[in-house]
Amino acid sequence: MKVAEKDIVVHGMLDDEYGRCREVIEALLAKVENYPRGALNVRRKQNKGKEYVYHYLVRRDGKKVINRHISEKELPELQNLIEEREKCRKEIRAYKKRMAYLEKLLNKPNPGGGRHESAAQ
Amino acid sequence: MIGSWVMLIYQKLYGARYALRTMDIDFAVHIAHAQRRLRADLKLLITSLGFTDYLAAEGVQKFTGGGYEVEFIGQRSGGRNTGFLSVPEWNVTAIPLPFINILMDFSDVAELDGFTIRFPIPEAYFLHKLIIAWKRQSVAKRCKDLEQCTAIMQVINDERLHQVAQAQRFGKETRRHIAASCETIGFPLHRIGLS
Repeated sequence: MKVAEKDIVVHGMLDDEYGRCREVIEALLAKVENYPRGALNVRRKQNKGKEYVYHYLVRRDGKKVINRHISEKELPELQNLIEEREKCRKEIRAYKKRMAYLEKLLNKPNPGGGRHESAAQ
Repeated sequence: MIGSWVMLIYQKLYGARYALRTMDIDFAVHIAHAQRRLRADLKLLITSLGFTDYLAAEGVQKFTGGGYEVEFIGQRSGGRNTGFLSVPEWNVTAIPLPFINILMDFSDVAELDGFTIRFPIPEAYFLHKLIIAWKRQSVAKRCKDLEQCTAIMQVINDERLHQVAQAQRFGKETRRHIAASCETIGFPLHRIGLS
């Protein structure tokens, strides 16, 4: 079988891109750590003909599910932080997908065992 | 804009084709004057475009969005200092690298796809690549630099190249690097005008 000779420039560039992806993922994961964990949940309660809306930050801690009440004052900032966190996670997923592709091209061992997509979720 | 994305501009303006480029987009920033007043909040501007900011190695701030990475580069004066340069005027930090002033001092502006982009003139980009190619630790990057030089060699204007070179003060090592690069790509050294 005829095998194409490795192009040092193309290979080097792909290798650089692989390294860059890894660095960005590490930096974004570190950033995500600083954002609040969990998702916002809304509970509506009726009392004496009036509806009351309560916001909770729901997160899992081992087997327990923790609901933390969020005041109206805290809400906008928390929503922003969660939005930012999701943006970071989306980026991480995109980079992991690219890394998986580059691993195949560069014949690199895949430390995630092909679970790049799920790892960031 | 500096870095390999400039080659796309050269392709559009001069027909010099070079397709390989990574997903990081570099912008050079002037840090010469000590004006600390905020002129424009680039961090806010870039994040409002959907990019996410993060701190890379050595505390340098970068932005990522859609798989692209935006980073800022500033002129490094002096020896091999590490870390980052703070640019309060633009609310960003920049990576200090040598010879960036060549790219900033000899630049041009183009209107492309509705954007106004400042980019180094081909002669400045060419000379910069000739220098840094031999300062690279990676052979692949060196080859890429020299391939880019080969791609724009045809559009190099000798007079402008002289102007760019004459404005610099190069040490012996840098001159050696330029000569080595010229020899590798087959570009006559006398066209640069360095004695």
